[in-house]
Amino acid sequence: MNEADWVAQLGFALVGVGLVFSATRVVTSDNLVRSVLWLAVTLCATAVLFLMLSAPFMASIQLMLYTGGVITLMLFGVMLTNREAGVVVANERNSPKRAAALAISVFAVFAAAIIGSRDALPTRPLDATAVTTAVLGQSFLTDHLLAFEVLSVLLLAAMIGAVVLARRRDFGEPSGRRVKKKTAADPGAEA
Amino acid sequence: MSEVLLAQLALGVPLGAAGLLAAVPMLRRSGKPAAAVSVLAATASLACAVMLLLGRLDGGDAVVSSARWIPVAGSTLVDVGVQIDGISVSMALIVTLVAWAVQVFSVGYMADEEDAAFGRYFTYHSLFIFSMLTLVFAPNMLQFFGGWELVGLTSYLLIGFYYQKPSAARAAVKAFWITKAADMGLLLGLILLYVFSGGFAWTAEITAEQATLVTALFFLGVMGKSAQFPLHIWLPNAMEGPTPVSALLHAATMVAAGVYLVVRCDPLFEAAEATRTAMMYVGGFTALFAACIAVVQTDIKRVLAYSTCSQLGYMICALGAGSLLGGYFHLTTHAFFKALLFLAAGSVIHAVHSNELKDMGGLAKKMKVTTAVFVVGALALSGFPLLSGFFSKELILEALFESGHWVPYGFLMAAAFLTAFYMGRVVLLAFFGEPSEKAAGAHEAGPSMLVPLVLLAVPALGLGFLAANFAAICGEAYSFHLTPTGVAASVLAVLGLVLSYLVYGSKTIGEHAFSALRPVAQLIRSGAIDRFAASVYSRNALALGAFVAWVDRYVVDGLVNASAALGLNAGRKLRAVQTGNVRDYVFVLVLGTAVLSAWSLLS
Amino acid sequence: MSLVGYLLLAAALFCIGIYGLLTRRNAIGILLSVELMANAVNINLVAFAAAHGDHLGQVFALFSTAITVAEVAVGLALVILVFRSRRSVLVDELGELKG
Repeated sequence: MNEADWVAQLGFALVGVGLVFSATRVVTSDNLVRSVLWLAVTLCATAVLFLMLSAPFMASIQLMLYTGGVITLMLFGVMLTNREAGVVVANERNSPKRAAALAISVFAVFAAAIIGSRDALPTRPLDATAVTTAVLGQSFLTDHLLAFEVLSVLLLAAMIGAVVLARRRDFGEPSGRRVKKKTAADPGAEA
Repeated sequence: MSEVLLAQLALGVPLGAAGLLAAVPMLRRSGKPAAAVSVLAATASLACAVMLLLGRLDGGDAVVSSARWIPVAGSTLVDVGVQIDGISVSMALIVTLVAWAVQVFSVGYMADEEDAAFGRYFTYHSLFIFSMLTLVFAPNMLQFFGGWELVGLTSYLLIGFYYQKPSAARAAVKAFWITKAADMGLLLGLILLYVFSGGFAWTAEITAEQATLVTALFFLGVMGKSAQFPLHIWLPNAMEGPTPVSALLHAATMVAAGVYLVVRCDPLFEAAEATRTAMMYVGGFTALFAACIAVVQTDIKRVLAYSTCSQLGYMICALGAGSLLGGYFHLTTHAFFKALLFLAAGSVIHAVHSNELKDMGGLAKKMKVTTAVFVVGALALSGFPLLSGFFSKELILEALFESGHWVPYGFLMAAAFLTAFYMGRVVLLAFFGEPSEKAAGAHEAGPSMLVPLVLLAVPALGLGFLAANFAAICGEAYSFHLTPTGVAASVLAVLGLVLSYLVYGSKTIGEHAFSALRPVAQLIRSGAIDRFAASVYSRNALALGAFVAWVDRYVVDGLVNASAALGLNAGRKLRAVQTGNVRDYVFVLVLGTAVLSAWSLLS
Repeated sequence: MSLVGYLLLAAALFCIGIYGLLTRRNAIGILLSVELMANAVNINLVAFAAAHGDHLGQVFALFSTAITVAEVAVGLALVILVFRSRRSVLVDELGELKG
């Protein structure tokens, strides 16, 4: 038991350190693309944490949605908003001191709260029974059905909203086909 | 009709006329109809006054009817209303009669004015009758003061009637300012009266010292309003107004308001020895001083103005000597013959289109009626025996004689001589002798101007014989005796007239005989008092005004501006919070959240 | 390994995310930091779910994930929109609301 515990502890420590390290690289990297990639690492580490917290479904969702979808989106975003030629995007930071101060003080507050309420926390072992997909699915479709449906409406709205927002502005024409109305003196007024 | 109602009508009808004319520009600017409204109102007032007088021929108790005006902590501070007794009724008759005559005279005299000005003139006249009667019928001193100020306003409006003329406008301001300065004394006296006696009644229970103080302050106001030395300087300038105005306001009625005040407050003045002595000296000196000036005037209206000043001095002196009847009776006779003189002078001015004596001459042939009434007035003013002025002056001089104050007595006697002299001079220069070019084309005035003249000549002639009746109305006793003083005064008057004839009539004595007095004339003409008053005004009043303006601009406005600037600056500083930088906003957001969570987590 | 450890870890991640939120000039960098913070929240939720033996926390975490993904999508759309009209995604240069 002790050994298993000890291994588990070590594993946790490693994952934790890795998580913190990669998160720090996300916010301190000069290269935006590198930042995005470090985020991918962070998200993967989080997935490992979920596994250790008896949440396999969460871990797989994390990998699929975040590491797969969100990172891809971010990369696209970086590429599409790149002003200069070349991949390297200027990414300086400003006034790090006050931000650091604030972040550290917030952490201190949270830490104080957490450690202060240590005795009130439940003490179950955390990786006892994995929560299965079936359980979660049942929960969604019975106890939290309304929220589930609303969530799907939200996703639909977000999807439509994103499409509408990012659409080109020539009304009546789909963005793919540009009718050759624009004169030579006015080559693409919209960016 | 009850007396109260008559008095209220006498007050109210001219007020209504003035209000109507003021509120309806179309009526006012229509000229003759406006005059008709005003004259009708004046007639109504006169009728009421006559009826009131007829009801009081043997005196009677005072009737007071008043309504609450200013309430104070349960009780009343001041009432408004009417007080009807012999004195107010007789004064009311004087005011309404002279005002009526003047208004009728004005219809002819001011006929050359354009309609809008004509109407405005009569509006002011109606306002004047109302103001003067407010003063006359006042049951307490506060209403009296209100009427006093109102007549001051009307005087300003009427002196400055020809407001396009700079000299007229300045004269109006001068009159207003000087009387206003004097009125501060009156106001202080009123306040003290209230402090001492708790009210503004005509009779008050105060000690002799308090009465002296209060009456001394009142006398300051009287000096301003009744043009006593040294506050007399506005009266000659007031001649810038139309001649009928001079007749009404600055001869008969408004300037007499000061004398009326003293008559009303007789109980207070009786107790104030010092004030009365001062009155005697000031009044006596003014009488002589003004008479001297009148001798060297070339403008007929100015002669009459200084003459008014002098006669007012007589009245004040009489009241100072304690002779209420003397002062008041002289006020009455003076009102009639002075108004008569002014209106007759107006007739002459209207005929020769000039005020200067040198532009007149030989008018007796062409303007018989005017000449006759003017001579009557002049003789009455001089105190020629049997005319009204003789009786009233005799009363005054007798009172002075009995008071034992020889200096004022001497002043008054000397003034009597000079009065006869300068009036004789005016009569001879204007109506006899060789006509000047302007006088050659003169002709007699129309009936609207002659009727009032003749009407006023009647009391000038005969009022002396009604002295006993007059005294009865006022609750005094009177009987005529011929005293040495009276004889002496008559002799002086005749001497004055003879001397004037010798100098100006038959020219046996040339004017160079008076070369010794030329420096005096220079001094008189130099206008030293005017300059002094002007310098006081420009240095002190304007300096005070400048100071107040500074306070207004920098303190009062400064406060407002400072608060506005404070708001603006605060806004400007606060705007710095809106940096437009998203990160700053996020920072504050996170900071706020952190603070809140810290508070909730750790408490 | 105890709950406290996970909670502290989540708190640390959250604060790193705050730091990134406040210092990044690029809008996408800010979005990345927000991602970190959302992640931290998820870890917190799942940890408590495990501690309570109850899957409610995980349900909550799934909802949170879904919403975060939607937010990222819309946020990126906005960033692209802003880039189109202002030719810049550096938040320092988007200062029209300056007072």
